[in-house]
Amino acid sequence: MKVSVNTEIAVTYLSSRKKQTLVAAMGVMFGVSMFIFMQSLMKGTNDYFEKMSFNTTPHIRLYSENKVADTHMMNNYLRDSSIKILDNPKQLIQRQGIINPYGVINQIQRDTRVAAITPQVTANVIYTSGSVQLNGTVAGVNITQEDKMFDVKGNMVTGNLEDLNHVNNSVLIGKGIADKLSLHTGDNITVGTGTGTPIVMRVIGIYSSGVKQVDETKSYTNITEAQNLLGKDRSYVTDIKINLKDYNAAPDVAPELETITGYKAEDWVQANSTLKTAFKIRAMILNSVVGVILLVAGFGIYNILNMTIYEKIKEIAILKAIGFSGASVISIFLQQAIYIGIMGGIIGVFFGFLTSYGFSKLYIGGSAPVGGTLNYIPMSFYMPHYVEAIVFGILTTIAAGYFPARKASRVDPVTIIRG
Amino acid sequence: MADIALMATGITKYFHDPVTTPVLKNIAIDVAKGEFVSIVGKSGCGKSTLLYVLSTMDRDYEGNLEINGVKATGRSLNDLAQLRNESIGFVFQFHYLLPDFNCLKNVMIPALRLGKLSYKEVESKAYEKLKMFGVEDQALKRADKLSGGQQQRVAIARALINDPAIIMGDEPTGNLDSKNTGIVFDLFQKLTQEFHQTIITVTHDEDFARRSDRIIEMADGEIKSHGRNK
Ligand SMILES: Nc1ncnc2c1ncn2[C@@H]1O[C@H](COP(=O)(O)OP(=O)(O)O)[C@@H](O)[C@H]1O
Ligand SMILES: [Mg+2]
Repeated sequence: MKVSVNTEIAVTYLSSRKKQTLVAAMGVMFGVSMFIFMQSLMKGTNDYFEKMSFNTTPHIRLYSENKVADTHMMNNYLRDSSIKILDNPKQLIQRQGIINPYGVINQIQRDTRVAAITPQVTANVIYTSGSVQLNGTVAGVNITQEDKMFDVKGNMVTGNLEDLNHVNNSVLIGKGIADKLSLHTGDNITVGTGTGTPIVMRVIGIYSSGVKQVDETKSYTNITEAQNLLGKDRSYVTDIKINLKDYNAAPDVAPELETITGYKAEDWVQANSTLKTAFKIRAMILNSVVGVILLVAGFGIYNILNMTIYEKIKEIAILKAIGFSGASVISIFLQQAIYIGIMGGIIGVFFGFLTSYGFSKLYIGGSAPVGGTLNYIPMSFYMPHYVEAIVFGILTTIAAGYFPARKASRVDPVTIIRG
Repeated sequence: MADIALMATGITKYFHDPVTTPVLKNIAIDVAKGEFVSIVGKSGCGKSTLLYVLSTMDRDYEGNLEINGVKATGRSLNDLAQLRNESIGFVFQFHYLLPDFNCLKNVMIPALRLGKLSYKEVESKAYEKLKMFGVEDQALKRADKLSGGQQQRVAIARALINDPAIIMGDEPTGNLDSKNTGIVFDLFQKLTQEFHQTIITVTHDEDFARRSDRIIEMADGEIKSHGRNK
């Protein structure tokens, strides 16, 4: 390969002041590796919390929502193009729950994007044990399917999950409920809803999801048990929970399900909007830290090039006198910046990976070795972060190198040579 | 006068620091191709200033400059850089080499810039030039490790590397002993006579000036004699 004379001069200048070059490259290295580390940490934790939320939230939840009267009946009846305005619309009286839930489930199951689907009866209840009462919800589920979707087994503290299927009037309670009501496996608990008669149920196990709010309110029972609690028939289902093969598709699939079924389909992004906001804020904080680091690295490069130009101003004048154009001089100095950037970028990628890897092995485990708690700092190793880091690193060096380079290109040879 | 290498008319230049004073006053010069011209005059009379104007490095003057029949006045910086690279070799008063490079590289750089020859060809040509001035054994030393006289010879070799039509020197032999001055003079003469290159050099060496084709005498920013009646 033919190396251009500009490149040769740039490389010579860099290697004749090795120490400063190295310091400038270290600045870039630091910026790039911090960028990678921060991004890995951020994506790692975000992914972790996302996965955590899937321990309790399905990708899509289908339920019947109370509706407010709208104009579509009038439109159907009048069949003209006039605009109707409803004055003071009221809530419509609606049947609770989903009509023909198993028909709906069969229909949705035919969609190839759907990985798992299960019905649920949700009941707001009051737990009573002795003289203490506690508000909460009971989820009537098919525990085998539920376990497949949300790994309930991994959250078990004591007891056996399958007992829910063959012990009559059995319930699986959260650890928070057990603590507050001082309950153990095998104890009895009274569960009552507003509508049906209270039922004495047997605690067959205790789980801990790691989410305090869930563990203090939610318990599982068989779906028929929940229907009994509410005094409803066997076709009464309040929610249909759907997991997709690709959870990122949920925001697209949900509206489709809404049009097909006529029920409200809430995807996990809507359900966890606070989580998403937290992600955004965290991203902003980390990105500004990385931005500041890159800025400092940029100043390092700006500084070394300015110094080089100050020291070599006579030589720049000579180069111009013997026929180097302004563009050549810019190229000579910009190349120096770029080589510093590439050098720092490559070392930074290695260093960033090592730091991320090291942190991912750092034990920060909680005391209870239960699924769902955070034992190691979650780190993701995601290729685009590394590419972005190098790109940002080099862009910074180009930006930082451009102004000194332009200054060099404007040196007037006669003024300098005349002395 | 058929072949004109350089023609300047009405060159006037002012310095504004500390007060506006004319340094060059309405100077007219023409130099034929293959001519070996010396410029002499008292220190401070404007010789270097004139040479910078003639070499196209200084664009801040009034008047008109033509090089090889092409107008140089008013052309863009890039054009002039290209013109200098290709057609003008310049030896500075204070030899100015690039200290981070070895002598060989210093000589090679203008040719690499021009890009007409391959790297190998440029390298052997540069060696040849260094040999002519007896500094080939210094080729791989850093330029700032050489004595003043050696540096000056390397600087002259650098000015010749692209076989420029015009070679300008600002006291190019100022740092040389009589033996090396003799070598440089003989070489300059050979270049003008055999290769028809043109030489314009400022000198304080009376002997050097007397042996050249023509002496232009300057005083106080003006030309006192064109030396044509030799
Ligand atoms: N940058 C400058 N600013 C003001 N005056 C200058 C500058 N450079 C040179 N001069 C003046 O211009 C005159 C000519 O200088 P110069 O061409 O270097 O003379 P020579 O080379 O003949 O000795 C001198 O009087 C010198 O003081
Ligand atoms: Mg002078």
